[in-house]
Amino acid sequence: MFFKLRNREVAKKTKNAEYCLLRCKDGVSVKKKQFAVIGLGTFGYNVALELVRKNIQVLGIDSDNGIVNRISNFITQALVVDATDEKAVEDAGVADCDGVIISIGESIETSILATLIVKELGVKNVIVKSSSRWHSKVAAKLGANTIVYPELEMAKKLVDTIVAPNILEQIKLSKDYNLVEVIAPKEVWGKTIRSSDIRNNYGINIIAIRKQIPIINESHNSIDIKEEINMLPGPDDEINQNDVLIVIGSEKALAKLKKIEDN
Amino acid sequence: MKEENAKNVASKELSHIELGKFYFLNNKYDEAVSEFRKVLEINPANAEAYYNIGLIKESSNLIDEAKEMYSRALAVKPDYEIVRNRLNKLIGIEN
Repeated sequence: MFFKLRNREVAKKTKNAEYCLLRCKDGVSVKKKQFAVIGLGTFGYNVALELVRKNIQVLGIDSDNGIVNRISNFITQALVVDATDEKAVEDAGVADCDGVIISIGESIETSILATLIVKELGVKNVIVKSSSRWHSKVAAKLGANTIVYPELEMAKKLVDTIVAPNILEQIKLSKDYNLVEVIAPKEVWGKTIRSSDIRNNYGINIIAIRKQIPIINESHNSIDIKEEINMLPGPDDEINQNDVLIVIGSEKALAKLKKIEDN
Repeated sequence: MKEENAKNVASKELSHIELGKFYFLNNKYDEAVSEFRKVLEINPANAEAYYNIGLIKESSNLIDEAKEMYSRALAVKPDYEIVRNRLNKLIGIEN
């Protein structure tokens, strides 16, 4: 009870403080982006720190006093608040935030209640970290704008790296098209983009080539590698043995590329 | 006589290392690895040779082999910081 009362006072003070506004050189006030992170477990804690690194003001909320104390020096404001207490969440200033990330993993019920409260407070951008398919469904019904399921996403990514180790990164662009980082297949080593005829042979477009350039690291007097990216490579640019190609292609075309590597 | 032999061995080790570096800088990775392996034949406790082979494997996207070489370098020289950093990066641990 003590913490709740104390934090309501802090929250009120915070709302009135200059915390929300930055003053530019010309005297015009510019609102800095603000996000609240409710639930400061491993995921929420790291999200909060990353947001601060990206110059976003962060209000962190958790019911655990120890976690709040630990993060308080690194984020804009950290409060001990029960996420299922509507008044306490409102007093904390959550409604003023541009977005709220609800990352309560240990209790689906608490996460769902917090989602409902935040939506009823009128927050436009609510992101919920889900911990199961049902959790995702309920959060969607409550109006969550984005639902992330990191365990499932990581599991898929991990399997992709096991099944196709030559595919280093994969981003889904649409239902059928992906952006992929792939180790240059043997067939095109030493060829230019034009002579490899990669677009016709594989049905993919190269948008960048990542190269590892051998160098001498002066500070250690040892060999090292420096990464260089050739953005928008031209038809006469050569593809070498250790290059990584960043390509766009259909699932079908990329599957063909994976098969070539398997053989 | 013994001292002179030791000097010769050290000098041979050094020249293979330098030749390996030269090949690496000229993108001749197979030749570079071969030179660093010659160093290890002379001195199996040469951590730099393991590191150099690891780096070549890493730049060739042969990540498992690179990890193996970095681990061997660290087994010989546990305080080899650049190797520790590279291995951590490959395993997925941020420094």
